Amino acid sequence: MLSMLEEIVLLAVNEKTGELRSTREFGTAYALVGAVFFDLALARKIDTSEEEIQVIDTAPTGNPALDRVLEKMAQRRDLKTVREWIEEIFLSRHDLEGAALRSLIMQGILRHETGKRLWVIDVERFPMVNERPQQHVKVRLAQAILTDEIPETRDIMLVAIAEHCGLLGYVLSDAQLVNRKERIQALSNLETISRKVTDAILNLDTSVRQTITKVV
Amino acid sequence: MLLTNKTQYGWRVVGVRGRADAEAAEELETTLKAAVAEHPKVAADLSGVSYISSAGLRALLEAARTASARGAEFAVCSLSDPVKKVFDMSGMHHFLRIHGELPC
Repeated sequence: MLSMLEEIVLLAVNEKTGELRSTREFGTAYALVGAVFFDLALARKIDTSEEEIQVIDTAPTGNPALDRVLEKMAQRRDLKTVREWIEEIFLSRHDLEGAALRSLIMQGILRHETGKRLWVIDVERFPMVNERPQQHVKVRLAQAILTDEIPETRDIMLVAIAEHCGLLGYVLSDAQLVNRKERIQALSNLETISRKVTDAILNLDTSVRQTITKVV
Repeated sequence: MLLTNKTQYGWRVVGVRGRADAEAAEELETTLKAAVAEHPKVAADLSGVSYISSAGLRALLEAARTASARGAEFAVCSLSDPVKKVFDMSGMHHFLRIHGELPC
C-alpha cells in the first residue's frame, strides 16, 4: 500500500506529460507535511489533540521518509503544538517530495526523465509506467466526495490533503466541486492536522499579500 | 478508559469513561464494532469522557461507518463538555447522529 505522501505526490503527476503539477506552490508543500503526519497517525505513531501532537510510539515504520520525521519528533521534545511541527517539517519539504518520487519509481509506478525546455531550462518529468495506482487514488477521492457515506479514515485524510494542494480539480469537474463544496469542507475540517495545515496556508497567503503590498 | 455495556429502550448502550485517546482507541473501536455486529441500534454514551483525541474521533467514525454498511443505527449521546468542544471544532455533527441524553 502506498503512503499518503506517495499518493498525494502521485496525484500531482500530470498523467499526460509526466510533469509535476505545482498548483499552490508553498500550499502544496504544507499539505505534504500534513500527509506525513497523517501517515504517522495511521501507523499509530502519533496522536493529536486540539493543539498538540503526542508521539506515542517511536519504533520505526519501515518507511525511511516517515522514520526520519518520527526520529526528529522523538528527539525534539521542545516542540509540542501541531503548528510548531508543521513549520519544523516544512523545512524538509523538498526531501519529502523527493523521497516519495524515488519510492514511486522503485515500485515501478513512475519513471524519471530529464530534458530541456527552450534548449536551456532543465526539466524533470515522471511519466507513468503503471497508471492504475493514480486511477485508484482518483476513484477513492471521487467516492468519498460524491457519496454521503462516511469514508474510510484514510480517504478522509486524502480528501483534506488533496483539497489543500488544489488537486481536486484534476479528479472532479467544476460543477461537481461546486455542488459538493460543503461536503469537501466538512471532510477537510474533521482532523486537527488538516485544520492546522489550513491555518498555515492562510497565514502564508497573508504574509505573501503583505509583502507584495509593501513592494508595490 | 473504562467501557460498559447495557441495553436500554431497545438500544445497546456502550458507556465510555476516561480518556479516549490513541492508547484506548483500538479497544473503543473494537468494542463498538462488536456491538454494531450484534445489535441493530447502538449508542456510545460519552458523558464520562474526560478527553478525546483525533484517534478517539476516528474510532467513533469507524464504528458509524461499520454500522452504516450493516444497515444498523449508530449514535453518540450525552457528550461531556470536553467532547462537545472537540465535536464542535471538527464538525462531527456532519457525520454522526448526536443525541443530548439517553435513551436515544
